[in-house]
Amino acid sequence: MNDNRWGLPDLGLGVGLRTTHYAHILSERPKIGFFEILTENYLDTGGRPLFMLDQISERYPTVMHGVSMSIGSTDPINFDYLAKVKNLAERTGSLWVSDHICWTGVLGRNTHDLLPLPYTEETLAHSVERIKIVQDFLERPLVLENPSTYLEFADNDMTEWEFVARLAGEADCGLLFDVNNVYVSAYNHGYDPVTYIDAIPADRVCQYHLAGHTNKGTHIIDTHSDHVVDPVWELFGYTIRTVGLRATLLEWDADIPPFEVVHQEVLKAGDWRRQEVANVA
Amino acid sequence: MSLERPELARLQHWMQEVVVHPGTVEEAIESDAAKNEIPSERLSEVVLPSHSMTSAERVDVYHGMYLMRMEEALETDYPVIRYRLGDHQFAHLVREYVQRYPSTSYTLNRLGDHLPQFFLDQPNWPEAAFLHDLARLELAMTEVFDEEESPVLGAAELEAVPSEAWEEARLRPISAFRLLAFRHAVIPNLVAFHEDRPSPSPRRRATWVALYRRDYSVLRLELSRAEYDLLKAIVDGAPLGEALATAAASKSQRQQAKVFRWFRTWISEGLFSAIES
Repeated sequence: MNDNRWGLPDLGLGVGLRTTHYAHILSERPKIGFFEILTENYLDTGGRPLFMLDQISERYPTVMHGVSMSIGSTDPINFDYLAKVKNLAERTGSLWVSDHICWTGVLGRNTHDLLPLPYTEETLAHSVERIKIVQDFLERPLVLENPSTYLEFADNDMTEWEFVARLAGEADCGLLFDVNNVYVSAYNHGYDPVTYIDAIPADRVCQYHLAGHTNKGTHIIDTHSDHVVDPVWELFGYTIRTVGLRATLLEWDADIPPFEVVHQEVLKAGDWRRQEVANVA
Repeated sequence: MSLERPELARLQHWMQEVVVHPGTVEEAIESDAAKNEIPSERLSEVVLPSHSMTSAERVDVYHGMYLMRMEEALETDYPVIRYRLGDHQFAHLVREYVQRYPSTSYTLNRLGDHLPQFFLDQPNWPEAAFLHDLARLELAMTEVFDEEESPVLGAAELEAVPSEAWEEARLRPISAFRLLAFRHAVIPNLVAFHEDRPSPSPRRRATWVALYRRDYSVLRLELSRAEYDLLKAIVDGAPLGEALATAAASKSQRQQAKVFRWFRTWISEGLFSAIES
């Protein structure tokens, strides 16, 4: 299996750290490879969330996943925010810091949504420049996730997968490959997800995401509110055959069930990983 | 206006105007702010329709999720106000509030910081004065929840203060402490929410509360006016001798004993982080 170019470890199977699971994690010490935290939830608190995070990051590897870097925005980069992200990364020992290929607001506002970028040469050049600045500031790999999108701009110069591959190469950053997001966007825009996966530069992929979604008929919303559907598991199998084994995280952010349910769901990814390793052997 | 191909900045300005617009997506696309960036008749030249959705319907996915997300965030910080207002009125409040105070932060945790001010600015809002008080209570609870952890003043440090130094000693509260005075009875609404009972109607009654955090839980002490005045004097930095003498002055021995009982309670509850003598 291929490795990523930074030699970042395959942390195995992880789940997103959610407040409703704190007590279970600390009392039961579940056997799990890593936790991923929502960065912004821990930047401005000195209370219980940070206390819990300190205990959990002492016991488990922790990586940070943000939603407010707004890497494609035409607003100035927020260095106060980045300084807090960097401090938290040092506190938790996060091996990498991730966010999304998107923008979240302009003119000083934040919509708190992962808004889609037009896949143009202009956007590419703009985003590459900003990623380089952010990586220099953070002094650790920035890993960016392909988002779920619900619209396409007419003036795109390239496909999303061409954009993602060029962005990662030209900015020299990592990728967090969200398999569910590829499925969602492929459904919404009518392309073949396998074409997307085939175009992803394997050596830049540092982590995978899996999640459930909500199918509205006319489109799919990436709600992180349910089990992973079978076609996404199939795509995950194809991805690890194509790209290799990477730290694999299950996201479950709405209608959050007990920890055991989330844990069982991510263990299914372990079955797929073992199967692919066996096939290679 | 030329629209050969909108620059990234223009496209983002347009999309944000549409996404945060409080009306329908059609109204948003037709708004002056949006049309100033991209004329509405050019929509399908900017956003492609899909096999099952028009360009406007695709934009509406983002537009529709914006207010839902704002509502979720404000409900997290203001569950008692949400409980008092009910679904419909709370949704209306959120729509109005985020127009006036949109998020300008990387975190949603502080989206609701201006809600007390919002009710002051909107005196005609139903129950505005009461909701102002309730918003102050809930905002203070979120602040206490998130404050930095402080060391708590222990018995050993108190015992180490020489008796002759007590008169001039000053107590410093922990960071996670707020002292609040209200014109309305806000606590019954908080209790009703937690006990899943009907939210009481607003009632004017002066109310004094100390909020603090212990073992990472937000706790409260409901205070009398006299307790509030004494505690306020102490946390404002008055020397202990002066604060206690004022509280107990010209009062009966029973009252004096009560004052010292309050004081012991505050110490044992961990309201103070240091004593400066």
